[in-house]
Amino acid sequence: MRKPHTGAIAGVAGVLFLSALAAAQNNAARSPWKYYPMERAIGDGGPAPKRDLTGTWAGPASGAAVPRGRTESPPPLTPLGKQSYERNKPLGKYSPGGTNDPHSRYCDPFGFPQNMTQEIRGLTITTLPNRTFLLLQYMDVWREVWTDGRTLPANVGGTARDSLDPKYNGYSVGHWEDDYTFMVDTTGLAEETWATKSGYPHSVDAHVQERFHRDSKNDLTLTITMDDPKLYTKPFFLGEEHFRWIPNQQLDEFTCIPSQVQQYLKEMGDPAGSDPSAAR
Amino acid sequence: MKTKVLMMMVLFAVLAAIDSPLFAHHGAAAYDMSKPVVLKDATVTEFLWINPHPLIKADYKDKEGNVQHWTMEMGSTMSAGLIGWTRTTLKHGDVVTLYVWQAKTRKPVGRFNKVVFADGSTMRDTQTGADDGTRADTDVGRGGH
Repeated sequence: MRKPHTGAIAGVAGVLFLSALAAAQNNAARSPWKYYPMERAIGDGGPAPKRDLTGTWAGPASGAAVPRGRTESPPPLTPLGKQSYERNKPLGKYSPGGTNDPHSRYCDPFGFPQNMTQEIRGLTITTLPNRTFLLLQYMDVWREVWTDGRTLPANVGGTARDSLDPKYNGYSVGHWEDDYTFMVDTTGLAEETWATKSGYPHSVDAHVQERFHRDSKNDLTLTITMDDPKLYTKPFFLGEEHFRWIPNQQLDEFTCIPSQVQQYLKEMGDPAGSDPSAAR
Repeated sequence: MKTKVLMMMVLFAVLAAIDSPLFAHHGAAAYDMSKPVVLKDATVTEFLWINPHPLIKADYKDKEGNVQHWTMEMGSTMSAGLIGWTRTTLKHGDVVTLYVWQAKTRKPVGRFNKVVFADGSTMRDTQTGADDGTRADTDVGRGGH
């Protein structure tokens, strides 16, 4: 039979263990240049500041125990969308040896919107009077969001002389919906990238909407939806991601190195092969 | 009972502290996860601390005296670093026992499971590090390349 003080003893032991762990970390030589995933913001830090997302945030893949979000919810594909989707062989099913994911094979850019849901580790947000920049840790990507009141371009990827070229991160504009919610709208995406790591495609005309909500000083939530009528019959919920404030505001470097990937594939991924029927 | 509860608390604390190893870069579909191959007294020839996955290369002499040249991958540098791995954890010439989930192609490549060092200590992979092929660290949160 469980004694009444057992839980208290266990609780104290757990606290002591964590304290010892934290002490060990604190006693180690500290560097202002290093990212410490075990060093985490405590609680919500108080109310969110108004109209301010500035700072460096730990994402769900950062190793900093950021809460899980929600994953994609694909809608039915149009016939053209089905055709595009079936060409793609995602890594999760085909393994490195069988995938045709351009990022996995060659370190090609994820492109937007995949780079906001895949390998979303750390994120820095900074603001100029007419722009907000989103700086992604993975692959050292920066996105430019114009806040000067301009509208999205309607002539990306066309054949007219004044058409704009599609871009890996597209063309983005942003505005404050309220004091804590920053909305970003993007279009003009490079079609060779995938919308999701599971191989769902997007067209150049896809319209992606991001909703950044500052829940508190230490918490930020991002939800992403995509409307792409050429390929999908309904808007596509791409996911919800949570971010936590990083106390020392420092991130590590983490990037895909083409020469290393080629070595990895030659010595490991390709010899290991692919067994898509066994994928879970 | 008390000891068991304490053990559970400590285990939980360890897992929570280690955190998630960042979500898997790719699945284990290419590997035979039914039973790890044991490479006893293998000699490390190279430890490549690279992305997307560090590679352990080792020579293993089978019962007939033939030398097999193995290559195995583990979790990403960032997730491995969270449980104590560094670029110098394994060095050329180290004699160790390696457990590896071999590729279904039966080539001498696979997914690293764990290493037993000469002094008997063990280090595991961040993913597929448990002896049943599941993750050895934790299911807390999400993470892992």
